[in-house]
Amino acid sequence: MTCSAVDQQQLDLVRRRVFLALFIALAVALHTFEALLPNPLPWLRIGLANILALTALFLYGVRALWLVSLGRILVGSLVLGNLFSPGFLLSLSGGLLATLLMTFGFRSFAPRIGPVGVSVLGALGHVTGQLLIAWLLIVRHSSIWMMLPFFLLFALISGMVNGIAADMLIESLRKHPALDRLQDMVER
Amino acid sequence: MRRSDWLQRLTPFDRKLVLLLALVVLVTFLLPFRQEKGQRVVVSSGEKILFVAPLDQDRVVDVPGPLGSTRLQIAGGGVRVLSSPCPKKICIGMGEARNRGDLLACVPNRVVIRIEGGADQKGSYDLLSR
Amino acid sequence: MLGRPQIVILLLLLLAGLLWWRGPGEPQLHSRTALIMGTIVEIKAFSADEVQFDLAADAAFAEMRRVEDLFSSQRPKSEIAQLSAASGPFKVSKETARLLQLGQRIARLSDGAFEMGLGRLIRLWGIETDKPRVPTEQQIREVLERIGPEDLQIDGTIVRKADPELQIDLGGIAKGYAVDRAIDVLGEGGLRSAAINAGGDIKLLGDRNGQPWRIGIQHPRKPGAVLTTLPLADRAVVTSGDYERFFIQDGTRYHHIFDPVSGRPARLCQSVTVVAADATTADALATAAFVLGPIKGLKLLEQQDGVEGLIVTATGEVVQTSGLQRIEP
Repeated sequence: MTCSAVDQQQLDLVRRRVFLALFIALAVALHTFEALLPNPLPWLRIGLANILALTALFLYGVRALWLVSLGRILVGSLVLGNLFSPGFLLSLSGGLLATLLMTFGFRSFAPRIGPVGVSVLGALGHVTGQLLIAWLLIVRHSSIWMMLPFFLLFALISGMVNGIAADMLIESLRKHPALDRLQDMVER
Repeated sequence: MRRSDWLQRLTPFDRKLVLLLALVVLVTFLLPFRQEKGQRVVVSSGEKILFVAPLDQDRVVDVPGPLGSTRLQIAGGGVRVLSSPCPKKICIGMGEARNRGDLLACVPNRVVIRIEGGADQKGSYDLLSR
Repeated sequence: MLGRPQIVILLLLLLAGLLWWRGPGEPQLHSRTALIMGTIVEIKAFSADEVQFDLAADAAFAEMRRVEDLFSSQRPKSEIAQLSAASGPFKVSKETARLLQLGQRIARLSDGAFEMGLGRLIRLWGIETDKPRVPTEQQIREVLERIGPEDLQIDGTIVRKADPELQIDLGGIAKGYAVDRAIDVLGEGGLRSAAINAGGDIKLLGDRNGQPWRIGIQHPRKPGAVLTTLPLADRAVVTSGDYERFFIQDGTRYHHIFDPVSGRPARLCQSVTVVAADATTADALATAAFVLGPIKGLKLLEQQDGVEGLIVTATGEVVQTSGLQRIEP
């Protein structure tokens, strides 16, 4: 049985779609799980869902990153039931700034930058984006920026943790036969 | 997983980036944020607000708690604890509170003293009737 | 060590545990605002279920809009506008009749200081428009003819005006009524701890999740500041002030609370705050006391059972009824 070149390409495309859908689903699951954890400061989350976004980025490129990030935010809000609520706006603004910074980091510095570096940029962006919207729309009082240093520190650490986890995931996925021929699929 | 393993997962660039960002974060800790002058003293016990008073009127207040009475002095735009029935008197040692957000507390007697202030601060009421 | 299946089971147990623990949910403070009756209306309530809150708030806002449509003198189809236009006896709904009767009771209690027939006077001053003006004494005299607590005769649901030209304006009582109705709707919607603030007219349902609600009273002369704070639950608070709607002409400030005797803005108070069981009564009493002034007005408030109040006189002095509880200052 011969496999023509076209078939192989289509196969890869389908495989990519399936995996990205899986990543989004996993990201939503992690996001929901995190929301259930007891937490004195509900906005401050480790952001485990980002692990999947990072994986998508390093395996499939920038477009995949946006897909998984935005997909996770939208579906996650549907699942948690806070679509279009202030919580959703915070999640969206944080996610947007984070994904922007991650895109910038990846495009400008790959292959020198690794998942940890990108993750840290994303985490800092996320926290800043959230504070920005919280300041503009909810609190409207400059004293909210007093929390910035603590949030940034937390983001730095959680960014590193997520990055390391993502690195481990990426490594083991790359070795897996289901994801070979990735070199052709990574776009800028 | 050995300790050095996780470091291996950072590329040389990553390490420099993280160090740089850590520096940035450190700097934000040191930035002075506008210390606004306080306007009100809010004394609470647990969730309950016992007493609110303006900072610009000198007075001495006795606040009741499970251990007894904690005495506060509001003078010269600040508030301090004069006496308290707690064993270690940490609250007295906390000194004076005068800026918005400053906090004094006598934990054993469950007394918390907060400074609120600023014209646009909605600190001490839930709704405004006007 | 734990094999993979064991880890999965452990994680599932953990997840189940978390779901069970987080199950019922802590009641949280929710807030919604809407623009109704020309002012910002805010509803705050504690609820473990955000959907329940949203539905109740929507219903409350809808009810307020219904009340606005019923009693507004600016909407030609409202019952009040039709009543104003009618020259002979006019049949109103039971709801309108009840409100008019309550208003008339307070008009009698306050010797006419609270007056529902000032429609022509208000139009004369143009205070609701962008071109307010100071009318002449002659013009004022014309529109004050036959104004008084008996200018309406209410027989069940039939209303007769003593003067066929009388124009009704329920500005001093309708917002309070709307707020009362809104709280009723919130209660029907399952909420137990709620507060509604319609541009300063406040009604509380229950307390603030175990603590009294802290109601700040606006300082009549210092925009950012609070005069005092009242700890309240299950009560209504309405403040009438000379600082809300006014215009300035030739250096004099003309505000929207008219003295039915002189036909001009009442000058004896800067603001009046009334605490009562319902906002309709509080609204009408606040208007009446404002017109009556600190001495007669305070007396009126003291005389009413279950009513407390605070008056800031024209010179800035604060007087209050004997039963009023304040959180200092």
